[in-house]
Amino acid sequence: MRKIEQESPARQKPDGAGSRREKPEIPAEFQAEPIEKLDQAALTRILEEPGSEPAQVFRKAIACKRLAVIGTKESVPALAALLGEDRVSDYARDALESIPDPAADAALREALPRLKGLLLIGAINSIRRRRDANAIEPLGELIQGADVAAAGAAALAVGEISGPVAARMLLRALDTAGKAVRADVAAGALLCADRMMSEDREGALSMLEVLSRPGIPGNVRIPAMHLQVTAAASLSRPRTLPDTK
Amino acid sequence: MKTAGAVAAPLIVPCSVLGQRAGVVAPSDKVAIAGIGIGSRGLASVNTVLRFEDARFVAVCDLKKGRRELVKKLVDERYETGDCRMYSYHEEVLARPDIDAVLIATPEFWHAPLSVQAACAGKDVFCEKPCSMTIQESRALADAFRRTGRIYQAGTQRRNGPNFVWAVEAARTGKLGKLETVHANVGTYIMWPPVPSKDWLPAEPEPPREEFDWDRWLGPCPWRPYNSFYVSGGGGWTNWYDFHGGGILEWGSHTVDLCQWAADCDETQAIEYVPKGANGAPYQVHCLYPNGVKLVMRDGNNLGKRLPDDGWLGMGSCSVRFEGDSGWVETGDGGKIAVSDDLRGDSPERLSDRLVLDNHWRDFIYCIKTRSQPRANADRACNSHITCHAAYIAFELGRKLTWDPAKQEFVNDAEANRMRSRAVRKPWAI
Repeated sequence: MRKIEQESPARQKPDGAGSRREKPEIPAEFQAEPIEKLDQAALTRILEEPGSEPAQVFRKAIACKRLAVIGTKESVPALAALLGEDRVSDYARDALESIPDPAADAALREALPRLKGLLLIGAINSIRRRRDANAIEPLGELIQGADVAAAGAAALAVGEISGPVAARMLLRALDTAGKAVRADVAAGALLCADRMMSEDREGALSMLEVLSRPGIPGNVRIPAMHLQVTAAASLSRPRTLPDTK
Repeated sequence: MKTAGAVAAPLIVPCSVLGQRAGVVAPSDKVAIAGIGIGSRGLASVNTVLRFEDARFVAVCDLKKGRRELVKKLVDERYETGDCRMYSYHEEVLARPDIDAVLIATPEFWHAPLSVQAACAGKDVFCEKPCSMTIQESRALADAFRRTGRIYQAGTQRRNGPNFVWAVEAARTGKLGKLETVHANVGTYIMWPPVPSKDWLPAEPEPPREEFDWDRWLGPCPWRPYNSFYVSGGGGWTNWYDFHGGGILEWGSHTVDLCQWAADCDETQAIEYVPKGANGAPYQVHCLYPNGVKLVMRDGNNLGKRLPDDGWLGMGSCSVRFEGDSGWVETGDGGKIAVSDDLRGDSPERLSDRLVLDNHWRDFIYCIKTRSQPRANADRACNSHITCHAAYIAFELGRKLTWDPAKQEFVNDAEANRMRSRAVRKPWAI
C-alpha cells in the first residue's frame, strides 16, 4: 500500500517516481527548438531530406510535430511520401491526421495500395481517426483481402466511420469475411451501431439485434445486448459528441 | 469470479445456504485480477489486492523479467501456491477468459489504449493515472466503457480519501455558502516547466529483446532510439512529450478531479482557460466552469515566489481549496483540514487514513460485483482529464482558450483544436 503523506514542496515527485538517475545531456542533433522555429516551407523541405539515421529521423519527427499544428495542404505531398518509411511514418501520420484539408484524406486513401504490413495498418488507422467516408470502399476491399491484420484494422475503421453504407458493408462482412477477421468485423459493427444511435436509432438497434445473436463473439455480443437494454430504457446518453479531428 | 455480463441481474446466494463458513469466499466468487506493467506504483495495488478475501491476483504481465518474477514471488508467498502466471505481453492476459479485471500500471502513454483494449476484451479495469494523453483519448476511453458496459476505476484514490471527501461534501452541501472558486495544486517541481520536452536522449544499444523489448515498451508512441534513462525507474519517461501528458496532468488528474466533484461539474469540463505566468515564474491557469464556479490550477508552493495574497495555504502534495461566499476549506495529502473561522467547530482538524488505496480498491471490487459505477469512473476521469489537457494546451499556446463541451472543441482556435489528439503508432489504435 502506498502511504500518502504530506510532502514538503522540495520533495514533491510524480506518483510512482522512485529515485531517478541524473538526466543525460541532450546532443545538439536531438534538440527540437531550432527546428520548431522554422516556417512551414522550411519544415516541409526537411521532410524531403535524405537519410534514415536517428539524426535525420529526429529532424523529420520535429518537423512533422510542428506541421501537425500549422501545416496546410502544401505540406501534404511531402508528408504522404513518408508513409512508407517505418520510423518516420507515424510522425507523418500525426501531421496528416491534423491537417483539416481534404487533401490529407486523399493522400491517405491513395497510399493504401502501395503500403504493406504495419505501414498499411498505420494508414488505415489514420483514415479511421479522420472518419473519411470516401474510404469505405477501399477499406471494404481490404476487409476481404488476404492480410488478416489489415483486414481487421479496416473493419474497425469502417465501424468508426459509421453510417448506413458502413453498416451494410459490415453486416455483409459478418457472413463473407474470413474466419480470422470475423471478431474484428463484429467489433467494427458494434462501433458502427454505437455511433449511429444518435442519428439513426432504428438502424442502430437493428444492427445491435444482429450482434446479439448466438455465434457472435462474446466480447461483442454482451456489449450489444447491454446497448440494446440501455437504449430501450432510454438510459443511453446519445452519442452526440463529435470527433476531435 | 464468473461475471454474467452487464445485462444480467446478479443472483446472490448467501454462503450459509451453500453450507460455507461465514466469512469464507468461494473461489468462484473471487474477482480474478491480473496486473499489467507492475513497477513501484503497481506494487502498492498488488499488495492491496493480496489483502482482500474476495479477490485473487492470478497473473502478472511485464516486459521486465525481474519484475515479473518479483510479483510472482510476492503473490505465491501470500497464497502459499505457485499459481501466479507470468506473461510478457498483455494480449495473452486479455485472452484468458477466467480473468475478470486488470490492473494497468504501465507508463501513462499505454493507459488509454490498454484500457480500451481490455474493455473490448470484456475485462473491468483499474488504471493508474494519468488516464489519457490527449482530449481525444479521454473521450475514446469514456466511450469504450459506456459502450461495453465494463467497470472502470481511475487510480485517483483521493476520491476515497476521508479528508478530501469531507472537504468536497462541505462544498457540495452548502457549508461554504455559494461555491465561488476551487483551487487545484497541479504543480510538482520535477515537472517544471509543465510543457514536456520534444528533445531526444542520445541513442544507446538496445538490450536483447528477451530481456527488455524496447519496441513493445514504446507501444503507441512514435519511434525514437533507446536510452536506458527512460526505462530505468524513477519515472524516467516523464516530461518527454511523446511519453507524457504534461505537468498539469500529473497532479491535476487528482486535484482537478476533486475540484470538479466539489463544483458539481463531474459531468462536464471547464469552458474557459487563461494561462498566467511563464517559465521561471509562478504559473497558474484560471478556468471557468459552465455553472460559474472558477477553477484555479496552480503550482503548489508558487515556486517559492510570492503571489498576491489569495488565501492559498499550500498544504502539501495534491492540495485543494474550495471557497464559497461564506466560508472555505483547504486540505492536502497530509490529512490536515484547514477551514474558515465559522466552520472551526464543525470540522475535524485532520482526517487521515492509511487505507485510502484499500478504500479505492474496495469501491472497485464492490462495483465489479454489483455492476455499478465507482467513484472514479471513466466518465468522471474523462471530464477531469479533458479539463487538464485543455489547460495544458492553453498554457503551451500562451493564450486564453474557450472550450465548447457540447461540441468537444475550442471556439475559434484552429491551432488549439489540432492539439486535441496525437497519432498512435501502428499497429496500436484508440
